[in-house]
Amino acid sequence: MEYLYGIVIIVGLYVVLATSFNLIIGYGGLVSIAHPVFFALGAYASALLSRDVGIPVLLAMIAGMLVAVVASIAMALPSLRVSGDYLLIASIGFQLGVLEVIKNLRFTGGPGGFTNIPPFLIRDFGRESYVVLVLAVTLAVILLVRWIARSDYGRAMSAMRDDELAFASVGRDAMWMKIAIFGLGSGLAGLAGALYAHYFRFIAPEQFEILQSAAILTMVVVGGLRTTWGPVVGALLLQALPQALTFLQLPPSVLGPIQGLLFTGLVLVFMFFRPQGLVAAEDVWRGASSRVRKTGEAT
Amino acid sequence: MLDTTIILQILWTSLATSSYYVLFAVAFALVLKVTRLFNFAQAAIMTVAFYTAFVAVQWLHWPAWAAFIAMMSTTLAASYGLERIGFEALRKRGVSVMFVFVFTFMVSEFVAYLAMLIFGTWPQTIFPGIFWPVTLVGNIAISAWDLPAIGVTVASLGALLAFTRFTRIGQFMVGVADNPDLAELYGINKRQIFLVVMLIAGAFVGLGMFLYGMRAQVLPQTGLSLMIFAVAATIIGGIGNIAGAAIAAIILGVIQNASILVISSEWQGFLLYIFLFLAIVFFPNGLRLPQRRSRFGTATRERAAEQGRSAAESKA
Repeated sequence: MEYLYGIVIIVGLYVVLATSFNLIIGYGGLVSIAHPVFFALGAYASALLSRDVGIPVLLAMIAGMLVAVVASIAMALPSLRVSGDYLLIASIGFQLGVLEVIKNLRFTGGPGGFTNIPPFLIRDFGRESYVVLVLAVTLAVILLVRWIARSDYGRAMSAMRDDELAFASVGRDAMWMKIAIFGLGSGLAGLAGALYAHYFRFIAPEQFEILQSAAILTMVVVGGLRTTWGPVVGALLLQALPQALTFLQLPPSVLGPIQGLLFTGLVLVFMFFRPQGLVAAEDVWRGASSRVRKTGEAT
Repeated sequence: MLDTTIILQILWTSLATSSYYVLFAVAFALVLKVTRLFNFAQAAIMTVAFYTAFVAVQWLHWPAWAAFIAMMSTTLAASYGLERIGFEALRKRGVSVMFVFVFTFMVSEFVAYLAMLIFGTWPQTIFPGIFWPVTLVGNIAISAWDLPAIGVTVASLGALLAFTRFTRIGQFMVGVADNPDLAELYGINKRQIFLVVMLIAGAFVGLGMFLYGMRAQVLPQTGLSLMIFAVAATIIGGIGNIAGAAIAAIILGVIQNASILVISSEWQGFLLYIFLFLAIVFFPNGLRLPQRRSRFGTATRERAAEQGRSAAESKA
């Protein structure tokens, strides 16, 4: 039963990661690969504050989320000040750089990982309570992103994503909207990290490597960008596949690369042959040039 | 205790090791300048180049020259495939810049995982040893790798400069880099120029990776770290300024190597990310392609336009 609970929690947390990443890349049109590092920051901050500083776990989790928000804004602000292209470049550097720092610092446990993280709810109410908590957070995140996407703010996000110049010309500040979307999405990833840390009680830098970037991107692209249920379907599918692979009982040195090939290969296949993903959506990747050409053809 | 000899030794070693950084930065900057693509798939080309040379030397026991030819062949073939199957198809579909960005990143990751599956996750080198015989000049140790590496890099840069100045295709490259649509109107085959640029960049990357693999250990993910360096150098050098990228690569290489004097070795790798961050915060001018007004640049563009015009007339 413990194994099943573990899978349910992992799937739930990946749904949170994929849904929050969909907010950033799908609705916001911002491309970043640093989502796993905000997941890591939430996990490490919450674990450190609760174990070494003695802050109550619930407060530590909230602090972990806030750390991810602040870090994401600190990363996005200088790059978005210049252009969206630079956000991706900065995110690659941030993803690799922060993990390098975590590996080299003693108080994070270094490459060996951080152990003895205090549990939350489990001792008093059993593992089932944590499963309920994760599922409740998962549902809340899905509904929150859906609500944002369908609200006036969501429509403004679409306008900003589709034509930033026109959006700015009506007096709206695109940069701060991007910062807000990025901060919120990354904060949700931080919350997922905190929830992860206090259930599994061990975190290590290798759990947040660039393979996770490929995995989360695959979940969103394969599931369907800019849809409520696309990332959910993607997360369920992409978590089921590695679980199935584990039954092959391959050594970790083979299993890791195969998972990586599966994730990156699926993204490439879907980018070329079904860019709208499994859950039907329009081709969100179309650039301005093709839109102009389409308009030209129509007229 | 620091003395002049130590400082000179560090400077020399830094200069020598900057050779491959320069080649990577120039390759990245060239593709960006002409095709306007942030080509992170360059990391995949690096991986292909290194492991081809590794297989040729370590598994097949080929001599170095044969391994080099094999490495260049696969590198150029990979660059050709990437341009024709990947970028060209994406251009035809009119996808956004971000899409191409993600595509190149996924390609580099895909190739890295493939390399991990085939070659494992432990570090490899092209030749069994990475330590080269040393000659003392004054009190400075100069390895047998240093001078050939610097010489090959300088010769490659010279060849690129001569190619862009004195050949027809090179001048067309300058024209396409300045204004691709206008260049096409003048009869320049943009498709051909993009392919030539990818092949030149591939050759630079192959050469750089051969030099790197001769004196450093390589992991399947090494390409991405080396890319970070190339990106930082390109941004600091000013996007659109290939010479600037090369100079920035040398300066960053010297700073990274000289940093051993003040920080411990495990933090040296972290400097890369500091460079990248500082480049974005303080040197973001690369966003706009600077309009150079040098006499040479103007003359080259005029020559390219003139030749393009005559090519169009002869076609007609």
